[in-house]
Amino acid sequence: MTAASRGDALPGPTPRPGAADAAARRGVGAFSERHSRILALLGQRLIQIPLVLLAVSVLTFWLIQLVPGDPGRNALGQYATEAQVRAWDVSNGVTGSVAVRYVHWLGGFFAGHWGTSFIYLVPSRPLILGHLENSAFLALYAFVLLVPVAVILGSVQAYREGKRSDRAITIALMALSSVPEFVIGVLLLVVFAVGLKLVPVQSAADATGNVGQRIHAMTLPAVVLAVSYLAVLARMVRTGTAGAITAPFHRTAVLKGLPYGQIVRRHVIRNALIPTVQLLGIYLGGLLGGSAVVETLFNYPGLGALLVTAAERKDAVLLTDGVMMTGVIALLALLLTDVCLILMDPRIRFENSES
Amino acid sequence: MDSSLSVPETEVEGALDSGGQRRAPARDRAGRRRVRALLLRPTFVVSALIVVFWVVAALGWHLFGLDPYGNSGRALAGPGWSQPFGTDNLGRSVFARTLAGADSALAVGPLGAVLATVLGSTLGVIAGYFRGWVDTALMRLFDVLVVLPPLIFLIVVVAAFGASVPALIVIIGVVFAPGIARIIRAAVLAEMGKKYVTTARLQGESAFRIMAAELIPNVAPTVIIQATLSLSAAILMTATLSFLGLGQQPPSPDWGLAINQNIAFIETAWWTVIFPALAVASLVVSIQLIADNIKETWS
Repeated sequence: MTAASRGDALPGPTPRPGAADAAARRGVGAFSERHSRILALLGQRLIQIPLVLLAVSVLTFWLIQLVPGDPGRNALGQYATEAQVRAWDVSNGVTGSVAVRYVHWLGGFFAGHWGTSFIYLVPSRPLILGHLENSAFLALYAFVLLVPVAVILGSVQAYREGKRSDRAITIALMALSSVPEFVIGVLLLVVFAVGLKLVPVQSAADATGNVGQRIHAMTLPAVVLAVSYLAVLARMVRTGTAGAITAPFHRTAVLKGLPYGQIVRRHVIRNALIPTVQLLGIYLGGLLGGSAVVETLFNYPGLGALLVTAAERKDAVLLTDGVMMTGVIALLALLLTDVCLILMDPRIRFENSES
Repeated sequence: MDSSLSVPETEVEGALDSGGQRRAPARDRAGRRRVRALLLRPTFVVSALIVVFWVVAALGWHLFGLDPYGNSGRALAGPGWSQPFGTDNLGRSVFARTLAGADSALAVGPLGAVLATVLGSTLGVIAGYFRGWVDTALMRLFDVLVVLPPLIFLIVVVAAFGASVPALIVIIGVVFAPGIARIIRAAVLAEMGKKYVTTARLQGESAFRIMAAELIPNVAPTVIIQATLSLSAAILMTATLSFLGLGQQPPSPDWGLAINQNIAFIETAWWTVIFPALAVASLVVSIQLIADNIKETWS
């Protein structure tokens, strides 16, 4: 807001058409400007996201149609007659050409009729949404662990750039990041669940208990998820922070004699976190959609593990709907990231003064 | 630079390279110097030895008299003199199974990585050289492919095409190619601004020749680094698929499958899980370290 009013006090050589009423509104102008940017972005994404989703849905649907197996036979078992199997196929929409079935499925997907899972014999919608909720809990827990640690490690590295502690953290993180997720999981399981008996080996039984039990059971999977994303994120924070503290505006702020806490809060963090937030958005989409590996390892009832089961047992309905759902979530996470970036990006704040 | 227009081609590249990242009069000598620089780095040497160890294990485990399938008579026995890594729930030697597991770990990765690299670099060079609609079309296609988390995409593709070794090689090749193409495209775009490309065009060289004889040699370090990284990722992916139960099937001694099968016994027999896990980690991390060393010495 101070930026906006400062900008209005120093009009550029060619004021923009809206500059006069922006000046009249003073600080509020900055807010509405930002709002209109978000609205414009939302509008643009509202066109883009359905198109990308459509492409993803065509790809997914077509690929899953190639899954071998006879769904009707699988669902009804070996003692059903040919006629029963055919009747089941018709009632479950697995006959006809791929294009017809695709349109039928797509219409159903958006209308909320998602079909019935072949293997669980229940509607796939509540099944997927329930597992999605579990995955989302795990993802949020992992995020709560991941983000502060990554920010602290990355900024410590940036402030000590080139020193021994910087290099030591880089090497440790790189070693950690190249170890496969399930290996880290197995090692942590052996140490904390088998050796020290601090946490249960399986998180499935407790995942439906009360909040305390759930968090207790989810700790190890969340740590594994967090560890696997830690290195890249810390590297991102390091680069961003190093860029911000070597920038001229940082030097100016220091020379102005601002208190250092204020410099860190207003000048460093905001600039340092922009690339980080971008990366977090990509991760968030993947994490919310469930981590197949961690969920399988800890027997956690999340969407990733559900999709693995669906793929293993050739459940085309569950797989198509579930994969489509992961696509929707990944795209929504990217949208959320874009909005966060607009809210954070200082160039939006200073736009008035640059005109 | 103008004088180099008339001299033979290797000279042209050598002279013009002095403006770029590579300053070598002859490619051979530069190559030898790079290899020597690599051999002086301890992490590279250790990683290379680990990779060689697993390659030898993969190719020669049956020559050493190892029996990954036979029952030794004692199930879930701890590590000891007769069974250095213990036995699993079927009494099979974990030591023999871990060494033999290198076979399936390395069955898909190398060929998959080669396919991904060839496909990805070709598309990347084409997109970077022609730009325009070819570039746009390829990049938009890749945008769609990266919407889904990679593992989910892989699960769908494996469900559709199966997880036999040839299928997995093609799948890994196709799934990893877009990422490589993107990076090679960026490298080619950087090269396109240099004078040797203009020179080659003025000489009337065909587009194919410029791409194959001028651009690819100059982005070769990037290509090699990407190939190494995708090898490590391919080994990780196949192990992950087996771990999820979508890859190798019992009684294969595959490492990922071994973890999947034995995780139920982790409380009573940790050795059935730890050794295959360490084997995957050692191979994947070593190859990544090799890529890292190449990156540091070559650029």
